[in-house]
Amino acid sequence: MPSHLNVPSKYWELTKEVPPPPIERDINTWIIANPSDPLWDIDVLPLTYTDSRWSAFVVRVDEATRQRLTPNPPLTVWDGENADLVEYWYVDHQNTMLGPYLEFGVTISATYKDPKGNVWKAGYYPYMYLTGDAPVDAGRVLGFPKKMSYIRITTHGGEKGTDFFGYAMTRNGYLLHSSTGQFDDKQVTPPYFYGKVDWGKFNMKVVSRPDLSSSEWQLTYLPSELPEAFNIKGHRFQIKPEHTRTASSDAINWFQQATPFDNMGAEMKIQEVTGLISFVFDLIIPVPAVLWTETYERPASYRGYATPYKYGLRQQFPISQGS
Amino acid sequence: MGLQANEYSYPWLAEGEVPPLPLDRDRIHIISQGVADPVFDYDIVPLTYTESRWMAFVMRADINNMKGVVPTPIEVQDDVIEFWYVIHRNTMLGPYMEMGVTFSASVDSGDGQIYKAGYYPYMYLSNDSPIFAGKEPFGFPKKAAYIAAFEHGTNNNYFNMLMERRGYILHTANGRYSDKPLSTKPTFYGKTDWGRMNYRITTHPDVTKSTHEVTYLPSELPPGFGTGHRFMLNPESIRTATGDDIRSWYMSGTPFDYMGGQIPATELVGIISFTFNLIIPPAATIWTRVVERDPAKDFGALLYSTPFKYTMRHRFMVPQYSQG
Repeated sequence: MPSHLNVPSKYWELTKEVPPPPIERDINTWIIANPSDPLWDIDVLPLTYTDSRWSAFVVRVDEATRQRLTPNPPLTVWDGENADLVEYWYVDHQNTMLGPYLEFGVTISATYKDPKGNVWKAGYYPYMYLTGDAPVDAGRVLGFPKKMSYIRITTHGGEKGTDFFGYAMTRNGYLLHSSTGQFDDKQVTPPYFYGKVDWGKFNMKVVSRPDLSSSEWQLTYLPSELPEAFNIKGHRFQIKPEHTRTASSDAINWFQQATPFDNMGAEMKIQEVTGLISFVFDLIIPVPAVLWTETYERPASYRGYATPYKYGLRQQFPISQGS
Repeated sequence: MGLQANEYSYPWLAEGEVPPLPLDRDRIHIISQGVADPVFDYDIVPLTYTESRWMAFVMRADINNMKGVVPTPIEVQDDVIEFWYVIHRNTMLGPYMEMGVTFSASVDSGDGQIYKAGYYPYMYLSNDSPIFAGKEPFGFPKKAAYIAAFEHGTNNNYFNMLMERRGYILHTANGRYSDKPLSTKPTFYGKTDWGRMNYRITTHPDVTKSTHEVTYLPSELPPGFGTGHRFMLNPESIRTATGDDIRSWYMSGTPFDYMGGQIPATELVGIISFTFNLIIPPAATIWTRVVERDPAKDFGALLYSTPFKYTMRHRFMVPQYSQG
């Protein structure tokens, strides 16, 4: 006789650590689908992080490249002090409301002038990659440009046990970036927005209709001041300076390339890798404001780029079993 | 130390193997973020599939349990569930593995029309692009999981499936095809007047508003693709097994995934496997409800966790996306 076993554990009935599914709650608390079992739920809110390690390569990028990567309208690249310093960063998140995950991103200093003449200053993210599905989706709701990739972050060895580093990222079988080296703790100049509470973060969210008849672009802005409810004055990136390590350009080996699936290595024209800054921090991510929207309509005759049942280079890579 | 190189070339562009770079296009050709390099791009449209292998367990569950996981206005029609795995070898989103659950359901759209369709309460995939191409425009309830599903042995007589997420096994089953007929099939099988439905929720970035929609994919082939069902089965590829041929079956609820706790099987009817081509057209929206939130009154109910305190739902092994 065959063995058929169903274990109908409902963890939300066993512990308050697990919220009941949205379908059993007020509809006001449904944030994403599906209401039977969403990819992430209200137990990610408020979205906090503890003891994450941020490792930011500081790279020099010319104005033409930064302008191309920063959508105008509505954004303009920052043209002030250290405008050409771009953050190219990895993060090891161990404790978050979305669980642990590894992350990568690029941040460019940019500004937006609203119709009333107010100037908003922020780091804009053209590229982001993560190892977990829930933080990718939760971030995308806020506008972050997240994809999934395979990411490695290693610090080990030397007198301090963390003197050597290795970072790598691959997707669909291609290496996007790898860097190795040794922290020498020499001074590295950070991007201009570092530590400034009047500099927030920008993202460009795209919401397409189910029939693809239109897509709305939404410029979202995350302030850097802690939300009032937390009753703490200061930057919502709370750095623990005793853990900070740095490496100068001469202490960094570096390789980056574009792939058929990810164009960052072609678009990010890097003039110089000026250094690496690595620090431990706690973080709160509040909900963003939407500063600007524009809708792009498609005609009923709109067709995409593909030919039915013909599969090209971008549709061919090793099949995955998932993570 | 200090050895550095950046390879900026993009040779596939000159040979037409890849579409123009997103930053060189008109904005109507950007269908998802990031706008510099979308997670799914316009080279997936039209979205076609060739020689995918569908392996669908047919099971029954308590219909009250099924109704308990389905939101208004969707009505469950019967207690027969399609519990399926797919190997997608050739798709506009690349190859990937997929698992899903389909209920026979209907919606009264309020304008006198009744829509009949398979409704998806749960779906899992192995890759990011098909997850977000399904979730964002259409509302498919997709998550990422480890999925193994295959047939092997003489004449591919044996089948095995396994799905895991965050260290917990959600489901596994294996057995041998007997090619005996099943006592019942899902109501929507082969019917072009039964489409597919999803419940999409699009939340505004500031969380003050969520738009709920039922999206509907018709089953008739879209204009220009001929007539018939858009799931085009190869009848020679069909294999079946009855419940007694399913050697083992294990399904469980987990702290991260509720399916096993919500719809335990009351009967395994069998399995139907087939190879097929598919086209997924754009979806129509047949029902909409907007939920507004007042930050002063409604946000409190959203704040389930305690800042900087992490519970069992936040504790699991660091995920490594294996599509690296």
